[in-house]
Amino acid sequence: MHQHPAPPSVQTIKEHHPIAGAPALEISNIVKRYGDFTAVDDISLRVEAGDFFGFLGPNGAGKTTTINAIVGLARLNAGSIKIFGYDNTSEWRAARAQIGLAPQEYNFDRYLSIRDVLIFQAGYFGLRPREIAARADALLEQFGLSSKAKVEYTRISGGMKRRLTLARALINNPRMLILDEPTAGVDVELRLELWDLLRELNRQGITIFLTTHYLEEAEALCRNIGIIEGGKLAALESTQSLLARRQETLLTIRVDRPVRALPGGLVARGARFDPGGTRISIEGVTANQLATALTELEAAGFGIEEVDFKRSTLQDVFLELTRR
Amino acid sequence: MNAIGMWTLIKREMIRSFKIINQVIWPPVITTLLYVFVFGLALGSRIQHVQGVTYAAFLIPGLIMLQVIDSSYGECSSSVFQGRFMNSVQEMLVAPMSALEMVAGYILGSVARAVLIANIIMVLGLIFVHAWPQNWLLYFFVMTLVAVLFSALGIIFGLMAEKFDHLAVLTTFAITPLVFVGGVFTAQQFLPPVVRNLSLFNPMFYTIDAFRYSYTGQSYLSLGFSLGVIGALTVVALAIAMRMMAAGYKLRT
Repeated sequence: MHQHPAPPSVQTIKEHHPIAGAPALEISNIVKRYGDFTAVDDISLRVEAGDFFGFLGPNGAGKTTTINAIVGLARLNAGSIKIFGYDNTSEWRAARAQIGLAPQEYNFDRYLSIRDVLIFQAGYFGLRPREIAARADALLEQFGLSSKAKVEYTRISGGMKRRLTLARALINNPRMLILDEPTAGVDVELRLELWDLLRELNRQGITIFLTTHYLEEAEALCRNIGIIEGGKLAALESTQSLLARRQETLLTIRVDRPVRALPGGLVARGARFDPGGTRISIEGVTANQLATALTELEAAGFGIEEVDFKRSTLQDVFLELTRR
Repeated sequence: MNAIGMWTLIKREMIRSFKIINQVIWPPVITTLLYVFVFGLALGSRIQHVQGVTYAAFLIPGLIMLQVIDSSYGECSSSVFQGRFMNSVQEMLVAPMSALEMVAGYILGSVARAVLIANIIMVLGLIFVHAWPQNWLLYFFVMTLVAVLFSALGIIFGLMAEKFDHLAVLTTFAITPLVFVGGVFTAQQFLPPVVRNLSLFNPMFYTIDAFRYSYTGQSYLSLGFSLGVIGALTVVALAIAMRMMAAGYKLRT
């Protein structure tokens, strides 16, 4: 992918401006059932304009159903969804005009060239080809697809298809991007490039709603995170506070001689060791408590040879919250 | 109203037709030519004039109607089903396009293809058997009305089908047999009275009878009655197609 100035923005024939002060996304008590199965069960959440929001959950938790409900592909049994203040049922035209969707599965029109995929998608959004051509060409250039502009999507690589999915989501100049596993199946290099691009889009003011199975991706990109499990919202908070939830650390200290007994303060903090071994481990220690632990060991006559302070990751939190 | 969205869909349908031109444009033209040569010119030379024209000239409007019906149903049913099958229809479903704009886009794209095929056959009829419409307004009106009717049926079956095989059910067991016995090859006066009366229950008969009027100036039934039947069927088919699209039948979960 290439670094280029942002593609020229476009105006829809009937511009739908966001309602002042409205959040980018407001989901209120939505329920979606398929027969007896409840895929989404009374979820409410709010994503502020400009946020980078991660929506996580194990397979079958209800992530894609929620996305489908937001973009209008799934009809709700209860609740409501507003996009920049527009109800996506009663004001669906205005609501949909705000969104660019990059679905997980490739669903391009097999009869169109790569360039026409963008031009026609813009057309469905009510944009005239002559208004959109420059933006389409700029997006093709930005995503490194210019050389393939005239071929059909079946003749490009998986990485290119993933880039095309993003380019298509951007063609209508959306205020909110909804990305369902946007980096699934791409190599590490392209993933990092896409991360940079998403950060840049977010800096430009585009709200991003992201689902991903790569938890390091959510940790690296998202400011706020919702975790869904069994159709219910298990967590909804900032990435930082989510990480702080699980007193974060596993502290491992290697000392200069075999351990037979520990100072009382460390025992009280739950420190463990293998009798005769030289390693002491303590779970749930904050950075401030590290210094205290080291001082106590030195006071007991141990020499400190190595300290490993492993922070808990979003994956640890995720597994804890979604453990069935 | 998202007129640009609708026009985009019409263009998309036309591009699709030209991408598969060897499947959808040339076969009906070549098939029709074969009918004209084998039935019209070879066997037809032994038949007296029908409705005041040669048998070959009598055949042309029936053959045009056969291809208009087949083309418009095939275009809409396969395009809608393929869009569902490949999920590419979601490109429209997430855009600000209404059910009306989608139905109109599919139908007008399909009508454009049917009219193109019909006019190619009409020109060939002019060249080979010197038959051409006497009433151009009626020619285009009936052709368009019938194409709309069968496009709407195509949308309905394209939405209902679970596999490609299901699309062929209507063609194989209803459309093709009913068109063939609906007056493409024979005038009503050549049929036994029982069969003649049964034809009145065949909707294809009304389409062919009304369309042939634009060529010969004659019809078995009153032109107004036939147009009324076709119009009523079209309204019902359109209403069902619209209802299904608006409900997101097998499109939105």
